[in-house]
Formats: sequence, C-alpha cells, structure tokens
Amino acid sequence: MEVFSEEATKYVWGGAIPLQIHLHESEVTTLPPPPPALVLGSRIGYLPLLVPLIKPYFSSTLPPGEDTVWFDYNGLPLKWYVPIGVLFDLLCAEPERPWNLTVHFRGYPGDVLTPCDSEDTVKWSYINSLKEAAYVINGNCKNIMNMAQVDQFDLWQSLVKGNMDGYLRISSRLKLGPVGEDCFLKQASSLQPRQAIDEPDTVGCSRPSRIPVRLYIRNVGESLEYLEDAPIIDSWDRISYINRAVEIHKEGGNYMTLKHAMRTLLPEIFGDEDPDKKYELRGEGNHEACSSFGDQETISTARNDLVEETSFGSQRPSEANLIRIQGIEPDLNIPFSWVVNNLRNPDYFLHLCVFLRTSSHQAKAT
Amino acid sequence: MASESPTADRKVVVHLRATGDAPILKQAKFKISGSDKFSKVIEFLCRQLHRDTLFVYINSAFSPNPDELVIDLYNNFGFDGKLVVNYASSMAWG
Repeated sequence: MEVFSEEATKYVWGGAIPLQIHLHESEVTTLPPPPPALVLGSRIGYLPLLVPLIKPYFSSTLPPGEDTVWFDYNGLPLKWYVPIGVLFDLLCAEPERPWNLTVHFRGYPGDVLTPCDSEDTVKWSYINSLKEAAYVINGNCKNIMNMAQVDQFDLWQSLVKGNMDGYLRISSRLKLGPVGEDCFLKQASSLQPRQAIDEPDTVGCSRPSRIPVRLYIRNVGESLEYLEDAPIIDSWDRISYINRAVEIHKEGGNYMTLKHAMRTLLPEIFGDEDPDKKYELRGEGNHEACSSFGDQETISTARNDLVEETSFGSQRPSEANLIRIQGIEPDLNIPFSWVVNNLRNPDYFLHLCVFLRTSSHQAKAT
Repeated sequence: MASESPTADRKVVVHLRATGDAPILKQAKFKISGSDKFSKVIEFLCRQLHRDTLFVYINSAFSPNPDELVIDLYNNFGFDGKLVVNYASSMAWG
C-alpha cells in the first residue's frame, strides 16, 4: 500500500472553497452597495488570511474607524483558527457553492471569538497547533521549538501561499511522519548515538504512531433524511469540539481501518461492538451497497450508535453517522494510516467532521 | 489514549506555575470541571493576576487554543494526575 500519495496531497493542497463574500449591510455607506467579492478560500488556509484579497473590494465604502475583521455564516461568527475547509464541511451540511459569507470590518464579537489582530495571530495559532501535534506524536515538541526562525517563517509562508513543495521540504525535517506500512512512524535513517540500555526510547527509531485528531461533532437528528434540511447552526454550543489521539496499530496483520479509528476515538458514539465482525456477516466488497434494508433495520434497532459503511456513489442518504474529512466522506474501510498521511492538515492534525444522526447515547455537547 | 471514559463530568486538577517574572499564586492547585474550556483557566489567571493578557502554556511547551476542553488537555498531556499550566507575562516559548 502506498502510504503517502503526493497526488492526494496535491488535491488537498489544491482544494478550495468558492466564497461569495458580502459586506454586512450596516457597514455599507455608499449607493449602490458594493457587489460581493468572489474569492477562493484554500481548504487548508484560514479566513483572516483572505482579508488582503477582500478588503480592496470594500475599502471605499467602509465607515470610518479601525478594522477588526470577522466573518459570519447565517449569523454565526466564524472561528478564525479553524481551517476554511473544516468550517465549510461542518457548517454547510449540504455543500453550498459558492459559499455565502458575510464580512464585517467593525464590531468584533469578543464574546464569541478570540481576538485576531493580524496575520501574526493566525501564525501563532498555527505554530502552537503544530507544537501540540508534535507533542502528541513525539511526547514533546522539541523539533518545532528547535526550528530555525527562518524555517518557521518559511513553513508558515508556504501555507499562506499554498506552496506544497516548499511546505513538504521543510516539514519533512520535522520527523512527524508519514506513518509507515508497519504503522510505525517512518524516520529518516540517521546514525543514532549509542543509547543506554535502560533508555525508554528504542534504538531503532520506530514506534507506534500516536495521531492527533480534532473532532467537530454536530447533531443533525435521527429523522433527518436530507442533509440540506439539517438544522442551521446558530451557536457554537451546538458543536462539540473534541481533541483526542489515537494510536495506530495493526490488527493481526490487517491495517487499522478508519472505522476502527472512529471506534477508538469516539467509543460513546461508534460503539464497542467489533465492526469487522459485522462486516463479515454482510459479505465482501468495499463497494457493496450499505447492506440490505433488512440488515440495516436489525442493526439499527439493536444498536443505534453503530457506524454503517457508506458506499461510493450512493444516492440514498445514509442513515449512519457521517464523517467528512477534507470534504470527502470516505469509505470507512480505508486504512487509517492512508487517511492520516494524506488527509491531515499542515498542522499535522487530522480534522474530522462528524454528523450525528443518533439522538440517544451520544457524546455530550458542551 | 485514556482508557476510562473521558466524560465531561470529571474534575481535573490543574497546577498553575509561574514562569519568568510572572507573579506566583498563593494557591496554585485547582480543580476545574473537565467540560470547561481552557479559556476558563486563562480567564481565571487573568482575574487572579489582574492582567488583561497572559501567555499560557501546557507543560512549558505550547499554548492550546482556548476552546479546547480541559478534559481533553488532561487526557492528552496530563501526568501524575494533574495538568500543568505555565503562565508568563511575555512570550516564554515562542
């Protein structure tokens, strides 16, 4: 299995959300009002980084005062530290193209959003996320702290400019992956100094990988038939933001699947029952349709909180909990290591959006 | 990965440690609900120390974003039954 696909990474880096950005009416001082700005928001980027692109559209119409830029979707102020792709995947249950957002240059909602004064604030948030990820993966974030200033700057600039090659060049030196076929962290081969026998670190520089994951969980309700009918999110209280780590390992020669990872990450939602056993009962094939209706009914009545596989190209809305990563709703039998290596963000976190269809026995929303 | 169910109802012991010239708190250990966000810890520190801004870190390593849940931080980065939070008046680990 190809553990790291440059092609997949190119897709992720090239992914962007078409945005139609309207200036909030309270800030329009000219007639006629300015037309909305049409901008592509990089999936792996952040909204504040778009301000230099957007501002020229509106600067002549803004009221006097200092800029404190923020965005909202359907009235919900958008958290600026969440990657644009994640915001879109999470808040637009049924993808809206273009995605209509409202930009404000005044009246920052300090009760909902932490301050974001400049690109530096976003960079600080990114570097800290990177450190946090490194800490989960390595047990410390020395590799980030020891980065030369110029490398940190270049890494950030690669992200800002969508320069995947530049990013890969610098990040590969951080030794944070990719996860190898043996589910161990692939390390660049290097001469290791002789270590004392009682040192906890293995001399072979490989160890099971711990993967940092950010989960964004949204309850769309049991009876929801079509995603476009999902209740609008009017408050961040409706989203559970959960940060957990999962250790990748092989199961008796088999790759750990995404399904298994979800079970480890969210046992309260995805249940304790061995999903592989269930899969065997239903038959073979990743692309088989989501079981016969009979099977589904049995499973649904037996345990509401089990994940069912979605099949590729299925037109019928799934009755299962939906998982979205980089805008993809992946087959749950994909090896988790592939998901990690190819779908994680430049901060080395895997950002997962989960749409909960079950109402009972779910993760407690905060 | 914590084996116990990391539910919101748990209380987490937070150990607040001053860094640099930040004032040392008389009472440095606190219990906080796991379901609270890290912003509560930051707010508490700012109130106690009468500061508008503080730089707050976990294990002298990184600053988590304020929306992260205390229980998640404890499960991922806590040790010896507590979560160590360092605070400084200026950026300590940039």
